[in-house]
Amino acid sequence: MIGLVDGNNFYVSCERIFDLSLEGKPVAVLSNNDGCVISRSNEFKALKIPMGTPYFQLRNRKDLIMRSSNYELYGDISRRMIQVLAEFVPEVEQYSIDEAFIHPELPDSADFLKFGETIRAAVLQWVGVPCGIGFAPSKTLAKIANHIGKKQPSGVFVMPPDPLPVLEKLPLSEIWGVGHRLAPKLEAAGFHNARQLAEADPVYIQKKFSVITARTVLELRGQPVIEREDPEELSQSITCSRSFGHPVIDLNDLHEAVASYTARAAVKLRQEKQCAAGVNIYLQYYPEYEPVRLPGGFTGTTVMFGSPTADTSAMLTAIAPKLPGIFMEGRRYKKAGVIFFGLEPEAVQTDLFQDAGKRERSQNLSAALDRINRVYGRGTLRHLSEGLAQPWKMNRSMQAPRYTTSWDDLLQVK
Amino acid sequence: MNKKKNSPPLMETPVSCGFPSPAEQYIESPLDLNDLLVKRPAATFFVRAAGDSMLGAGIRPGDILVVDRSATPLDGSIVIACVDGEFTVKYLRRDDAGFRLEPANRKYRTIAFPEGRELRIFGVVTACIHQFAARKAKK
Repeated sequence: MIGLVDGNNFYVSCERIFDLSLEGKPVAVLSNNDGCVISRSNEFKALKIPMGTPYFQLRNRKDLIMRSSNYELYGDISRRMIQVLAEFVPEVEQYSIDEAFIHPELPDSADFLKFGETIRAAVLQWVGVPCGIGFAPSKTLAKIANHIGKKQPSGVFVMPPDPLPVLEKLPLSEIWGVGHRLAPKLEAAGFHNARQLAEADPVYIQKKFSVITARTVLELRGQPVIEREDPEELSQSITCSRSFGHPVIDLNDLHEAVASYTARAAVKLRQEKQCAAGVNIYLQYYPEYEPVRLPGGFTGTTVMFGSPTADTSAMLTAIAPKLPGIFMEGRRYKKAGVIFFGLEPEAVQTDLFQDAGKRERSQNLSAALDRINRVYGRGTLRHLSEGLAQPWKMNRSMQAPRYTTSWDDLLQVK
Repeated sequence: MNKKKNSPPLMETPVSCGFPSPAEQYIESPLDLNDLLVKRPAATFFVRAAGDSMLGAGIRPGDILVVDRSATPLDGSIVIACVDGEFTVKYLRRDDAGFRLEPANRKYRTIAFPEGRELRIFGVVTACIHQFAARKAKK
C-alpha cells in the first residue's frame, strides 16, 4: 500500500501554529508581492472567495484576515512534516511542499486506518498542522483516497479492495494526471467518470491518447505502475529527487548531486515559465551500527532566493553556503532531493532594483543552456556557481514573523 | 537542526607509520548543543520568554525556551499553553479538580481548568537558555 499525506490548507495552517488570533477566522495567504490568494482557511472557503482572487479586490474587506506569504516558515514546517513521516515509514517521497507519498512496510492486511490516524495525530501534535491521509495500492488511487480522507472526521481514508464504486462518483478532472485539458477529450471519447476510465482498454487509450493516460488506467485499477521517484514528471510541483547508486559520504559529492538536481528542476521551472521564491533541500541518511548505533533519518534546510528566480546560477549561489550547515560528518547518505516553492509566473516578476537588461541576459543564458542541453544531452553545459542575485525585498507588508528561522522572530510567551 | 561541525574532528592517535589502531576509527565529534537540548528536531521549537511569571522556575524575560511538542505533559511539567488567545509559560498541575496552570511568581494567579474548560498545550518546555550578554530582541 502507498499513502499520500497532504497538509490541509497548508500555508494558513502554518500561520496558525503561532498565531492564535487566526483560529476560526477566514484567513488567506497571498502570493509573492501580495498578488493573489494562494491558500485559504475553511472559513475563507465558506465565503466562496476562490483561489487566485487578486488582493486588490479584497483590500477593503474588514472581515478577512490576509497574510503575506512567509515561505521561510512554510519551508521549515514542511521539512518537519517530512521528518515526522520518516519516523513511521522507511521511505518518504516528497511530492510538493505540503504533500508526500509514504511507503509503509506493512502487510496489506494491516489496519491502515489506525496507522493513518496515528501518523495524523503525530503530525498535528508534534508539528502543529492538520493533514489528510489516503492509502491505496497505487499512487493515483492514493491521491483519490487522500481527497476523500480530508473530508472524513478521522482525516484518513483507505481505498477498499474494489475501488470501482468509489471511482464511479469521481469526475475525470479530479484524477491525478488528467486535468482540465485532457478531461474534455476523454469526455468526447465517451468516458464520463473515473470508473469508466478504469474499465477502458489501456491499449486503446495508449493509441488514442498517450502512454501516460494508459498508465493512469492501470493505476486506477490498483496496479502501481508509476515508479518511485518520478511523480515530478506528472506533477505541477517542481521537484527532483534521486536515490544514490551507492552511499555518499563526501560533502562535495553531495553538493554536486544537489546542484545537478536543482539544475534539472530549474529546467522544468523555465519550461513552465515560472519562478520560485525558494527551495527546500532534503538529505536522507542510513542508520549506522558501528561503532555506535545511530538511527537513520532525514535532514534538510530551507533556502530563500534573493528574489523569485528561475535562474540556475542564482539558485546555486544561494544553496552553496547552506549545505555545510546540514551535512553531518561520518554519516552515509542515501538520497537527496530539492523542492521549489513559492512558484509564480515569470511575467509577474517585478524586480525594481535588478536592471531589466541583466535579467534578460540571465534568462537568455538559461534558455541557451536549456537548448544546448536538449540538443547535446542533459548536462552538456553546466553552471559554475557564479553571479550574485541583487538583494531585493519583496512586498510583504502583512507578513508574520519567521518564527522558526530567525532568532529575532521567535514566538513570545508570557 | 544538525549544525555544522565547525572544528575538525579530533584524531586521538598521533600520526605514525604502521598499522592504524582500530580505536582510531572512533573519531570524536565536537560537542554539539543540539544533541544535548534537542531530542526530536522535527517537534522542537524555540520561543522567547516575555514575562516574569516564571521567575521562580529560573525563566527570566528574554530567555529562549526549548519546547518539545512530542513530549507528554505531566503533572509538574513546564508547558507552553494557549490561554485567552495568548501563549503563556506555566507549571502544569493536575489533581482531582482538573488541571491548573501555576506561575512561579506570587504576583500572578493560578489559572484553573475545571472539567469542561478546554486546556490547550502547545508543548513541553525542556530547557531554558539564558545568555548573559543576550542579544537584543528586535522591537
